[in-house]
Amino acid sequence: MKIRRYRLYILISLLILTQAGRAQLSPGDLAQVHAHLEGMSNCTKCHTLGAKVSNDKCLSCHKEINVRVAQKKGYHSSSKVLGKSCTLCHSDHHGRNFEIIRFDKLKFDHNLAGYKLTGAHAEKKCEDCHKAANIKDPVIRKKKNTYLGLNALCLTCHEDYHQKTLSENCADCHDNVKFKPAGRFDHNKAGFRLKGKHLDTQCIDCHKKSTRNGKNFQQFTGFPFKNCTDCHTDPHDNKFGQHCTQCHSEESFRQLKGTNSFNHNQTRFPLTGRHSSVSCASCHKGSYTTPLAHQKCSDCHPDFHKGQFRQDNHIRDCRECHTDSGFGETIFTVEMHNQGSFPLNGAHLAIPCIACHKKTDNWSFREIGLVCRDCHEDIHKEYLDQKYYPGSDCRNCHSESSWAAITFDHSLTRFAITGAHANQSCRSCHAKQEQAEPGKISFTGTPQTCSSCHEDNHAGQYDVDGFTDCSRCHSSENWTLSGFDHNKTRFPLDGKHIHVACNDCHKMVEASPKPYRQYKFKDVKCENCH
Amino acid sequence: MGKAHRIYILALIAIVALVLVYILQKGISYYRVPVEERFFHPDYAALKPSGSWGHGLGIFGSLLMLVGVLIYVLRKRVRSLSRLGLLKHWLEFHIFLCTLGPLLILFHTSFKFGGLVAISFWSMVAVFLSGIIGRFIYIQIPRSIEGRELTLNEVREMKSNLGDVLSSGYKLDEMSYNLIIESTRKKAELEEGILFWRYTKNYFDDFSTIRSVRKSLKGKNLNKTEIRQVLKLVRNEVSLNRKIDRLLFMQNLFRYWHVAHLPFAIIMLIIMIIHIAVTIVFGYRWIF
Repeated sequence: MKIRRYRLYILISLLILTQAGRAQLSPGDLAQVHAHLEGMSNCTKCHTLGAKVSNDKCLSCHKEINVRVAQKKGYHSSSKVLGKSCTLCHSDHHGRNFEIIRFDKLKFDHNLAGYKLTGAHAEKKCEDCHKAANIKDPVIRKKKNTYLGLNALCLTCHEDYHQKTLSENCADCHDNVKFKPAGRFDHNKAGFRLKGKHLDTQCIDCHKKSTRNGKNFQQFTGFPFKNCTDCHTDPHDNKFGQHCTQCHSEESFRQLKGTNSFNHNQTRFPLTGRHSSVSCASCHKGSYTTPLAHQKCSDCHPDFHKGQFRQDNHIRDCRECHTDSGFGETIFTVEMHNQGSFPLNGAHLAIPCIACHKKTDNWSFREIGLVCRDCHEDIHKEYLDQKYYPGSDCRNCHSESSWAAITFDHSLTRFAITGAHANQSCRSCHAKQEQAEPGKISFTGTPQTCSSCHEDNHAGQYDVDGFTDCSRCHSSENWTLSGFDHNKTRFPLDGKHIHVACNDCHKMVEASPKPYRQYKFKDVKCENCH
Repeated sequence: MGKAHRIYILALIAIVALVLVYILQKGISYYRVPVEERFFHPDYAALKPSGSWGHGLGIFGSLLMLVGVLIYVLRKRVRSLSRLGLLKHWLEFHIFLCTLGPLLILFHTSFKFGGLVAISFWSMVAVFLSGIIGRFIYIQIPRSIEGRELTLNEVREMKSNLGDVLSSGYKLDEMSYNLIIESTRKKAELEEGILFWRYTKNYFDDFSTIRSVRKSLKGKNLNKTEIRQVLKLVRNEVSLNRKIDRLLFMQNLFRYWHVAHLPFAIIMLIIMIIHIAVTIVFGYRWIF
């Protein structure tokens, strides 16, 4: 019985011990990441005999942590961790699915890792940054769930939006709250200080967005800014040069700094003549930079002539007649006048413009007439038959050269001018009449008898029926008796009488009102003389 | 069982219960956490198997079991100690120590049963469970006051006087008397059928027997105390009947039980020693 009993003991013991041999000493499965260390032969890879689990063993495998600790960097070098056993935080033999690295991500003091999380970083999840894509070291990158491999440089996680055109230290300009706008950026530290309106300008207005290397890009460096025209379009087309600030300030483009230094002659409207002495505000009613029409004088000046020079529905420019020396002067020449409907000739050349064009208080250039009477008074109106100057056209007798030079063809009248008459002024005959109005000569009703003009020196000796016809003895050619033949008288001259002076026979007779020479005798008796 | 002894037994039970309650209230939160989460539990450092508490539980649990086994084995095996106290009392103390020990070990494991030492643990569980079974078998075998097993004849002699006691001590009517005698006798004679079925049937039949006796006693000229005493006599008689019925079987069963109980204890011990050695080698020395 005893033998059988012990045999049974031995059998059962062997059976169990055989199973025991297979069994691990391990108190539990290792976590997945340590699964390759399962098995009795591997115990001492982590465990130090007589000393539990030593940090040295851990760090002999986890070299990347060892390096960080040696460098005194990272969470494992922080005061909270340094010098403590790895096993305080990291354990194992708790099953395959045991998380060797586990901590309260929300409560983790990231300062201890050497990088304080502030602003937007504090809102991020761990894996937003701690991901393979951000890890440069190829060895660390392969590790799952690692928190290593990052550094404090922004570009470790963030893409360089500026594509190496700016400092790699993003924190120079950006804070941790928002990437845009760059909270730490002080534009005054840039090459171009912002003043005036530039302070209100959106960044994008100067720093344009584009695509560079297939990515969105906004240029912040590498473009000129010394001249305003580097950004601004020069509305003056470089007429005033590149020194915009001589006139403009950053406070307002439209408010000029002052006019003293402004050379208006560089504009499209140089100031000359009277323009140079008028005040700026005379033309620039509002802002100096408000575009001002200046192509035509009428853009500033009222139409003094009230539309008289309208042509084809637009008013002709003052400059055709005036200069900026003043409206009192004109450059409208006689030649130009002669191109018009009333060429100036003769005396018209000598008269001032106002004689015709300013008959009233106002200048008048239109519809002032083309014929003489439009300007000149027809003084012959009632004293000259219209048939001698049809249409009251003075030019029938007068010329523009001289009013006095009359070209009237007197032969058209019943009294042809011949002889010495031709040498007489009109007035000589026509002014002898009684004047209807003072200063006016009547050309109508002028008597045609000689005695109406000439005085009868012969005291009526030659009257025939009360009328003396001088032409019987005299001609208009010559007052002398050119046609008188004494031999045809009752007393022909012969003998000595031929050589006797006329006056020896024809003596002066005292008479009233005045004496006269006697040519008519009652008879021709000798004793009359002898 | 004397009153002092009963108090002593109750005290032992109370100690076990208190220890259980205390450890549970201290560690229930930790033990309920899945294994993979326990490291992060605030009580991990104390209650992990190598922790200040957990390791201590293991050491004390092991010591309790070692002492519990050793003293009982020595008392049983060493002749010079055979007269030291009643074996029954040693057994009780053995049960106490080897209940409290595994309890502490159970919490030492923190309900994590892996690796080599799991064999030790499950062996311990086997020993513990077999101890409970053994204890059941043990009480099925009538013993002398010193604890020695009685023979079948000695047991039979114990039950011959029931009729006399009933007829002399109590004023029972004839019908009740006959019912009791009849019902207690017939069980002893039933020895046929399948073993476990028979035991089970007998067990339940005994209940109905006691119920019918109680019923017949009611309304008779017996006070409550007398009825209780009669019923106790009947129960004892019925129990004896069962024991007699099973004595041979139990005696055989108990022999086989030893074959299971001890080897598991040895296996547990061997692997426990390996376990302890390994932990010491790896540097786990509790508070030392």
